[in-house]
Amino acid sequence: MGTLEKLAVLADGAKYDVSCASSGVNKHNQGGIGNSKSFGICHTWSADGRCVSLLKILLTNYCIYNCNYCVNRNQNDIPRASFTPREVADLTIQFYRRNYIEGLFLSSGIERSPNHTMERIYQVLDILRHEYHFYGYIHVKVIPGADPALVNKTGLLADRMSINIEQPTEQSLKLLAPQKTLPVLFAPMNQIHHQMTQNASERKIFRHVQKFVPAGQSTQMIVGASKDSDLSIIKATETLYNRFQLKRVYYSAYVPVNEGPNLPALSTSPPLLREHRLYQADWLLRFYSFKADEIVNEQSPFLDTDFDPKISWALRNMQLFPLEINQASYEELLRIPGVGVTSAQRIIRQRRLGNISYNHLKKMGVVLKRAKYFITCQGCYYGGIPAESALVRQALTPVAKPVQLCLF
Amino acid sequence: MDYLYDGSFDGLLTSIYYSYYEQKAHGIYPEASYQFNMFTPSTVIQSDPVLAARVYDAIDRKISVYSLMQIYYVYLSNNPAKENLILKYLQLGFQLGPKIDSIHSHPEVLPIRQTAKKVSFEAERFLGLLRFTDTGSYLYAVLEPDHNILILLADHFADRLAGERFIIHDKKRNLAIICNKKEWYLSDSSEEAAIPDSETEQFYQELWAKYFTRISIENRKNKKLQSHFVPQRYRHNLVEFRKSELL
Ligand code: SF4
Repeated sequence: MGTLEKLAVLADGAKYDVSCASSGVNKHNQGGIGNSKSFGICHTWSADGRCVSLLKILLTNYCIYNCNYCVNRNQNDIPRASFTPREVADLTIQFYRRNYIEGLFLSSGIERSPNHTMERIYQVLDILRHEYHFYGYIHVKVIPGADPALVNKTGLLADRMSINIEQPTEQSLKLLAPQKTLPVLFAPMNQIHHQMTQNASERKIFRHVQKFVPAGQSTQMIVGASKDSDLSIIKATETLYNRFQLKRVYYSAYVPVNEGPNLPALSTSPPLLREHRLYQADWLLRFYSFKADEIVNEQSPFLDTDFDPKISWALRNMQLFPLEINQASYEELLRIPGVGVTSAQRIIRQRRLGNISYNHLKKMGVVLKRAKYFITCQGCYYGGIPAESALVRQALTPVAKPVQLCLF
Repeated sequence: MDYLYDGSFDGLLTSIYYSYYEQKAHGIYPEASYQFNMFTPSTVIQSDPVLAARVYDAIDRKISVYSLMQIYYVYLSNNPAKENLILKYLQLGFQLGPKIDSIHSHPEVLPIRQTAKKVSFEAERFLGLLRFTDTGSYLYAVLEPDHNILILLADHFADRLAGERFIIHDKKRNLAIICNKKEWYLSDSSEEAAIPDSETEQFYQELWAKYFTRISIENRKNKKLQSHFVPQRYRHNLVEFRKSELL
């Protein structure tokens, strides 16, 4: 098989993995090729509107496992291919020189054994870093069950590593990925977390110590393949952030690729709105210091589809509002629907120089359409209706767009 | 009095110098596109690097580096009123000092912030949307940006592609960044490179186009979103759109 065909097959198998951001590390070129920008650079956008920043491919789509939700599971009859480590390295360098990509995201099916596959992933990095002196971004998948020593030496060359847990609970894992268990997935996560912490303290004493996974680790959960609630997903996310200090948890709306008794029908469309709401909830955890059970709870274990999770929270907690813009603390400002991190900071800064009027707020990036029911500005309330949960809920409910009739 | 300058950043700063120490400028305009009118007298300002440096330092010391950067970005924008936005902003800046950085919503400040943001957004966008072709002896890239962002790309690519010769060509303004493995300079003319149809180059272009079409997920197709991120006007310089006929 030629490179072109291999690339087609191995890009296909990798595209359902969404964790492809290249952000989180700033690196200069030190006498080779490449650098990294911490804000991440998108190089193009595919027809589904997703940003392409890394060459995202599989080393191989052969797999000895049989995870139900995966195109590459061994019982599927699909074209199979494997790259050699050198092919992947050459492709990366040539794409990179032409500025098609920001770096490499290498994932893989498990060919022969976890160690065999992990070793080959290491070889790709070895060629890129030591032979081509590549300083660009590299994200690799850790193969669960691989020898910790292999994981360690790969981690010294990668920017980011990830182990996808895919399912938020042990039960759904048992049902859908019978060869995987949470402890097996957590072991390398724990190892990476441990070594990152240790590495950081060693680097304080010895400057020359090589960085270990400088952009941290991430994981992905598939949404909608199992029956798990948003509560389980958000709880699992919170635990992952607290326990392993993950940089990111990604959510991927399940695209049905296989048939099976435990899977949604092939005709099910991917739950994109749910995925979107989960990302919003994730932001609340990471940047707005919300706790998981403030966002969802046992009584309502799914996120509201009509409202973003911050509005939902505010509507359930109307007793805390309205807040006075000129007095609220930074943390309080962040909890107002329509106020983001940037506008909250602007408010705090400008407030030191004088009172902020209602007119100023819009120019600072506050979305007044939402915020006006939750604030007072210099003592005045601009909502127009009483700040009561039911009324505000009604005022904020998006009007259903009139459906365009189809003529053909 | 209207001041007419040569279009350079030094020229603009020199005009601001004269506006402070000689006669107050009513407006500042590039000489090349100035519409003369009977009622406003005008004078041509000779760009002077020493006077410009004085204004530059004064902004840095009395206002802030941040403000300095902001007006430079505005200067690079295609906003037809940019010189006067900068003039008014600096007048306020010299009164307020660094405080000006915190009054985002002020009428003299907001347009500067908004324009600078557009420029930096486009520059960041082209860090990704630039495509090089390997001509065999050097890498060559063409772009036609809305704002004059070429210079904002130079350091990034000089660092990234250290050890390579490359040219980045702004076809719209006929400017080019030329880098000889280490150092780069801005040249105000450039020919379009004669690109040989080398087999290797074709091969990688094809691989990239193939990859590009393969990674999109059919059930998630969203062309509108794609158009939002990659506007039509940029597409003819992008291999993956040209080759996959998604122009
Ligand atoms: S181990 Fe990975 S590649 Fe193999 S079937 Fe499971 S999810 Fe797919």
